[in-house]
Amino acid sequence: MPGAADDLSVFFEAARAEAPVPDGDFMARLTADALAEMPVPAARAPSPGFWMQVRSALGGWAGMTGLAAACAAGIWIGVNPPATLDAYWGDSTNLGEVGVDPLSGFELAMLEE
Amino acid sequence: MPYDAMSDCAEEELLAAYAAGDAAAARALTARLAPRVLAHAYRMLGGDRAEAEDVTQEALLRLWRAAADWRSGEAKVSTWLYRVTANLCIDRMRRKSRAGPALDDIPEPEDDRPSAVQHMQQAARAEALQAALDELPERQRQAVILRHIEGLGNPEIAQIMDIGTRAVESLTARGKRTLEALLAGRRTELGYDGDD
Repeated sequence: MPGAADDLSVFFEAARAEAPVPDGDFMARLTADALAEMPVPAARAPSPGFWMQVRSALGGWAGMTGLAAACAAGIWIGVNPPATLDAYWGDSTNLGEVGVDPLSGFELAMLEE
Repeated sequence: MPYDAMSDCAEEELLAAYAAGDAAAARALTARLAPRVLAHAYRMLGGDRAEAEDVTQEALLRLWRAAADWRSGEAKVSTWLYRVTANLCIDRMRRKSRAGPALDDIPEPEDDRPSAVQHMQQAARAEALQAALDELPERQRQAVILRHIEGLGNPEIAQIMDIGTRAVESLTARGKRTLEALLAGRRTELGYDGDD
């Protein structure tokens, strides 16, 4: 007569053979859960465009605004100089009078050679 | 990684691929783990399939949510999952305190064709064992199922149950003794004597 362990092994084998099998619908539900919970890999940030890089190099919007204001002011002063500067410039536009010599004697001497 | 190439991958590798957003790994892991979790839950819950499916779904959801923080080498995926499954089952059993079917309620084989008789006999044995398992204290039931039906080794069972291997041996030995006593009177009835 077989021992008690053999008795039980028959029952254990039967339990293994009768294991429940998940049906298709259940597996589909589990797979949908798995996909819904799947971590999304972090997307790589796109590299900034040319103007974004320029803006960043100039110190952002504040830097850009300051630069634009300075340019506009410079152009405006060039086109329409303020009347208060006339005393300094005088009637003549001769730059030599105000000590600005765009072409010195040295440069002229060099040109002659 | 294509789905077909995943059959040889360890579960830990598949889980890492899943955490990195690999949909094929999600399908491969589900196909591999779901039948084992369902079978374990089914046996722990006295053969209640609907409850076992609920537990399977919950246990796998917990695995998916743990995937991103999973540290390789700390625990085997299957060990972790068996533990979560058993805990979910024990929680349900305690909440419901529902008794399994009595041994005497198990239907007798009715079809007299040889293969059908054989199949019915096997099903009746599985049901008888399930009913006897339901009579065991939950820790003994868990240890016997893991050792003798799922076929795990004592060290892994010890990890799942968070006890020492000696305690596992003790639980399975006591569980088997009770099962033998419960099933002793049903050997002839369940066709055991005709098998050998």
